[in-house]
Amino acid sequence: MATKGKEMPLESALAPAADRVAHLNARYRNHAAQAVLERALGDAQVGRVALVSSFGAESVVLLHMLSVIDRSTPVLFIDTRMLFEETLTYQADVAATLGLTDVRTIRARPEALAAHDPDGVLHRSDTDACCALRKVEPLERALAHFDAWITGRKRFQGGRRAVLDFFENEDDRRIKVNPLAHWRPEDVQDYIVNNRLPRHPLVARGFPSIGCAPCTSRVAAGENPRAGRWRDQDKDECGIHFVNGRAVRGPQPAPQEEPEMNVIVTDRGFAPDDWTQGFHRPETLGEATGNGVLALDLPSDADPCDLADHLGRVTMIRVDFPSFADGRGFTLARRLRLMGFKGRLRARGHVIADQYAMARRAGFDEIEIAPDLARRQPEAQWRRRSAWQAHDYQSRLRGLA
Amino acid sequence: MYEYSEFDTAFVRERVAQFRAQVERRIDGALTEDEFKPLRLMNGLYLQLHAYMLRVAVPYGTLDPAKMRQLAHIAERWDKGYGHFTTRQNIQFNWPRLRDVPDMLDALADVGMHAIQTSGNTIRNVTSDHFAGAAADEIADPRPFAELIRQWSTDHPEFQFLPRKFKVAVTGSPNDRAVIKSHDIGLRMLRKGDEIGFEVVLGGGLGRTPMIAKVIRDFLPVADLLPYLESIVSVYNQLGRRDNKFKARVKITVHEHGIDRIRELVEAEFALRRSTFGGADQQILREIEARFRRPTLRDGRPADAYEASRAADPVFRAWADTNLVAHRHPDHAIVTISLKAHGATPGDASADQMRVMADLAEEFGHDELRVSHEQNIVLPHVHKADLPAVHARLAAAGLGTANIGLVSDIIACPGMDYCALATARSIPIAQQIATRFDELKLEHDIGPIKLKISGCINACGHHHVGHIGILGLDRAGVENYQITLGGDGTEAASIGERTGPGFPADEIVGAVERLIGAYLKHRESAEETFLETYRRLGMAPFKEALYGDERQRNAA
Ligand code: HEM
Ligand code: SF4
Ligand code: SF4
Repeated sequence: MATKGKEMPLESALAPAADRVAHLNARYRNHAAQAVLERALGDAQVGRVALVSSFGAESVVLLHMLSVIDRSTPVLFIDTRMLFEETLTYQADVAATLGLTDVRTIRARPEALAAHDPDGVLHRSDTDACCALRKVEPLERALAHFDAWITGRKRFQGGRRAVLDFFENEDDRRIKVNPLAHWRPEDVQDYIVNNRLPRHPLVARGFPSIGCAPCTSRVAAGENPRAGRWRDQDKDECGIHFVNGRAVRGPQPAPQEEPEMNVIVTDRGFAPDDWTQGFHRPETLGEATGNGVLALDLPSDADPCDLADHLGRVTMIRVDFPSFADGRGFTLARRLRLMGFKGRLRARGHVIADQYAMARRAGFDEIEIAPDLARRQPEAQWRRRSAWQAHDYQSRLRGLA
Repeated sequence: MYEYSEFDTAFVRERVAQFRAQVERRIDGALTEDEFKPLRLMNGLYLQLHAYMLRVAVPYGTLDPAKMRQLAHIAERWDKGYGHFTTRQNIQFNWPRLRDVPDMLDALADVGMHAIQTSGNTIRNVTSDHFAGAAADEIADPRPFAELIRQWSTDHPEFQFLPRKFKVAVTGSPNDRAVIKSHDIGLRMLRKGDEIGFEVVLGGGLGRTPMIAKVIRDFLPVADLLPYLESIVSVYNQLGRRDNKFKARVKITVHEHGIDRIRELVEAEFALRRSTFGGADQQILREIEARFRRPTLRDGRPADAYEASRAADPVFRAWADTNLVAHRHPDHAIVTISLKAHGATPGDASADQMRVMADLAEEFGHDELRVSHEQNIVLPHVHKADLPAVHARLAAAGLGTANIGLVSDIIACPGMDYCALATARSIPIAQQIATRFDELKLEHDIGPIKLKISGCINACGHHHVGHIGILGLDRAGVENYQITLGGDGTEAASIGERTGPGFPADEIVGAVERLIGAYLKHRESAEETFLETYRRLGMAPFKEALYGDERQRNAA
């Protein structure tokens, strides 16, 4: 695998991180998490790579993927000495269960702790300084030996993570790989359930996101899962994750009354999403057991022929539109209908009101759009195209009108 | 002339209403410029160097007097009093204001015209033979098929956001006057026993990587036309590259995957799609054929006036020799009106000139006009007895230039004078060459030759298929013109070959003159054309004319 880099032999010096990041994002844009991780571990353009894990609520997903591909990959675990007892036990359990052979525990140097936080109370007066001491500096030292590191951050976690890419350029020094960038909460839950992975014991007690004990609190139902981290502080990252190497301490978005949800557009107008069963990716379809309802997420470059054997047991297919200018989804929809798919067909992503009639004519039943697009192009603009059957040359030529 | 059905009329009105709303939503911010762009492009509205440009479709190049007069009206009311006829059988208005565009589109709809899919990454205006329905060598009129394809491709829900633009051309004659091998899909009509069908070629194109289209199906029955086209385009929609706009045209898809692989995929898709067309399309094709009004040509009227004028008037005779083509009816002729007056902008016509042409079509031409891909206007059915009158009226309006097919009948793209992508001027070069050969009074002696000029590598001026092609480039801030020889856009299509280093602007006219000089010196007889001489002798004598004797150069 490591010989993959024909354009970039392993022996030669790596190109600047910015160039490689742009190239890698373009190359893996439509890949699934597993594939991104697998390639990241073997791609010469990525270089020497480690996984950094908090062994928190969702960490087990990446750790499991990693163990399947190569369990000797270095895993860096930051012990701030402020962690929950449960986390330390969980860390040992998971490492043993998955057979990870190179877990390295990273800690602040004792001299540094003695100098800056001898009593362990710095977090009360200055969390940024505390994080810098206990996480950022130790990790920086540990990463000095690597060209890239893997994180479990996801776009849905919000804040600065909302625009996360698979590959990020960290200050022109290293690459950060975020294989789960595009995962949604359901994906994480499905993966843990399907693979029967051990859960962090605190999750069941109301901690959906787990960091150090003094800075993590319970989260109420309906709250953002990360709301329990540094509660009531203007802080949502500990400092090890800056967006492209820069700590952007801008104003936070105004708090919303309720979490913002995607909007489903049909001929009747806007409605909230009524689908709660989650979605599978085409490559996990084989593993999905056929009891109950099955929904599928299709990237725009999918080959519908690969799905021929499964269409009968799929209830819903959601086709991705990475950009409104990418018209592949329209042909995908038409293809699926021609192949006999009778279930619910949804377009998701950047589809604009002016494309509503095209989507309906191509075979979609509905469109899922993000809240900001719904605000910019309100319901009335979509309803204007709800008479999508009118003025249609296609149906005349096919004898349908 | 095809007359819109009620459905067509309602469709176009609805599209104008949609676009009017889109312009408003752009102005109030509901649409970002990014999102508005493909929508305005779908309605023919470009942003150029100085202003917006509206490109109006002339489907398969066919116009009637009412349409031509309306184009004149639009040119006067919303533009600077003229329009520009293009190589893709469109007319462009170069100076409209965004807010006026919906009104212009409504004015077009009043006469059954539109600007739909004249730009953007969709299936574009379908082009055809400008002599269709009149040519002596025709198997059948290709325009009903072009209209069928127009209806099918208009607003096709799958194909509004293709990887790149997609152009289709249809010809009904063995002699290809529609440059079909330079199109994404070319359809060449064939007869097999009693059945009419098409040879389908795929993946031609000019631009920065010129390619001659390859045969994907050697005989496609008429009834399979739409499902087969749909299969091709859907395969392209999924397979075409979207990562690099210079590699997104179907010619590159064909080049990268091979025509055999593409054929396999298309046939598989065709198996799936064939049944979605159950014959309603063929019924509509018959209705379309009925809606093409055909002129009733009168027999028996003597053509003596024509012969008399030929004998008496050398100016008329010169015009008749170059600007007329044989009609399928022996008492008639096909008249080509030159929009290439020496020194004028190739393809431009003023509002007054448009009205003169409309009047002539009404009085003498069975209400028919055509736009040719060589940027001229055609009166396809004129009785020979009327030709002297037609010529006199044209000459009075500055439209009597006798140069069709000659060296001054140049195709030139807008170039640096209008186009944001240009690397050099092309219109002024065309004007200088035309003026120079007019002074030399050699044009008629030189005979048929195709000279084509593009102002950048995008090749809108078709220079690759010119017998002499000129490509304007930018060499370190200085215009430099590269010459290609031996290109051909007909059924024997070929891409021109570069002669060598280019020439600066003030030397290009002299270089062309030397090329023509070499041809006159080496041709076997006055009958042997430039292209034939080039094919017989190859590049060497022309290179020598351009750059001097190689041995002398080496010795120097
Ligand atoms: C002034 C604004 C214009 C711009 C910005 C423009 C731009 C372009 C570009 C970028 C291409 C290359 C597309 C590709 O290969 O993917 C192209 C091709 C072409 N343009 Fe234009 N063009 C303009 C005007 C015209 C005009 C006035 C004509 C007709 C006289 C024309 C006729 C064509 C034709 C026939 C092609 C096709 C070449 C092919 O199929 O490969 N264009 N144009
Ligand atoms: S999470 Fe809290 S205690 Fe832990 S390092 Fe950061 S601020 Fe300090
Ligand atoms: S060839 Fe180039 S300069 Fe000429 S019109 Fe096309 S894009 Fe513009």
